[in-house]
Amino acid sequence: MRDVAEIVVTGLGVTTAVGQGKEQFTRALFAGDHRFAVLRRPGRQLDSRFVGAEIPSLAPPARVAARDLRTASLTAQVALATLEEAWTEAGLDEADASRVGLIVGGSNVQQRELVQAHDRHRAKPRFLRPGYGMSYLDTDLCALATAVFGIRGLAHTVGGASASGQLAIIEAAEAVASGRVDVCIALGALADLSYWELLGLQSMGAMAPMDCADAPEAACRPFDTAHNGFVFGEACAALVVERRGARPPREHAPYARLAGWSVQLDGNRGPNPSLEGEVRAIRQALGNAGLAAADIDYVNPHGTASPVGDRTEAQALRASGLTRAAVNATKSITGHGLSAAGAVEAVATLLQMRHGRLHPTRNLDDPVDDSLRWVRGEAVEAEVRHCLSLSLGFGGINTALCMSTYESRRA
Amino acid sequence: MVKMRSEEILPLITEAIVEVLPELEGHAFTESNSLEGLGANSMDRAEIVMLVLERLDLEIPLVDTFGPQNLGELAQHLSEKTSVRAQKRA
Repeated sequence: MRDVAEIVVTGLGVTTAVGQGKEQFTRALFAGDHRFAVLRRPGRQLDSRFVGAEIPSLAPPARVAARDLRTASLTAQVALATLEEAWTEAGLDEADASRVGLIVGGSNVQQRELVQAHDRHRAKPRFLRPGYGMSYLDTDLCALATAVFGIRGLAHTVGGASASGQLAIIEAAEAVASGRVDVCIALGALADLSYWELLGLQSMGAMAPMDCADAPEAACRPFDTAHNGFVFGEACAALVVERRGARPPREHAPYARLAGWSVQLDGNRGPNPSLEGEVRAIRQALGNAGLAAADIDYVNPHGTASPVGDRTEAQALRASGLTRAAVNATKSITGHGLSAAGAVEAVATLLQMRHGRLHPTRNLDDPVDDSLRWVRGEAVEAEVRHCLSLSLGFGGINTALCMSTYESRRA
Repeated sequence: MVKMRSEEILPLITEAIVEVLPELEGHAFTESNSLEGLGANSMDRAEIVMLVLERLDLEIPLVDTFGPQNLGELAQHLSEKTSVRAQKRA
């Protein structure tokens, strides 16, 4: 691996059900807020009462023309709003556009809108909106973003199921480390699930069952012995990753260094986790960062509330020697953003690092593993110098990302 | 649906234009305006014409609407297409 000491994060954007923008999101994290309810967005229910967390309102950025907004999917609109926040914070209007890239994490991220288009035109298919021929592609997000922000370096999508968001960060770090671009934005795209994806995820046993609609606030309970599957949450996040020194330094210090990372595969098509794969990803990320497990102050785990997933992950943390680190589960507040999750959780991690506080894990009444240092009940003060964020995806994908404070860099 | 006169179709066209190009809200459209001149690119044009076809319930290939050079000609062209359809149905 190249000199990862120079790869830093200089801008963040986030949009979730509990808030648009870092300020609202941070407040919600530390307060342990939630917006879990029976889903209401059109196209999410038929004979069902699926529960999840939906973004209540969105302020689109002024630089996006109304003509683009008309045909931009919810996923694309949220992406543009989220990118705007990260872009502005990192001062990218002043950057050389040919040296700026964008990697969008996620695949099949506009399903609800596609199903709605099919339903609307089933009786008269010939009147389908011609622009559907290009906007059905996930890469329409890249196209819109490059048109709106003038990005010219690179732009493409990467898919890694629920690890897509973190995979995008890792790919952005690699693109910057290799010198292909100086700055690369990683976006975890909003997974806009339709009724059909929700039903499939529930049928396969990954998503919490229908009866949780009776008490939506209690449905999402990562690492609690009463966990019963993940609960969906609309979300999107963006991180500006850059090589330190490639452009004039900003007024503000970077959020952190990306110190080490790892992508490990299990050779498994299924949704089931692998203890061995998770441990391998953790060890390699730590090794690349030049850190030991004992150096890690905080772990932001994948923690979906899947019974087998939670237990395997807790076991992986223990087996990796991460028993000194504080652990919380961001999905207990945001819900599971699927393609967005890894990016949202990296943003949550960096915001907690900057504020020196860790958010509580909602509904963690009876942890599955008493040997780990759970943060629950209320937010706690904590100095985080080194941390680890984990993402796992269907199809045997394990990713780990180690982030360290910028000041902690080795001489 | 019966044959529609071009004067009836023109407002449907301008309504579709404003829907696709919201910045033209309040614009004083004339029959001599071209879609290109109004700032529509080829994708915008396809979207505008398809919206009009849908509102006319006129199922013709989009490629059959490529001839007209301005809004008046487009309205006239679509009027003739509705006429053909009215005759077929008669």
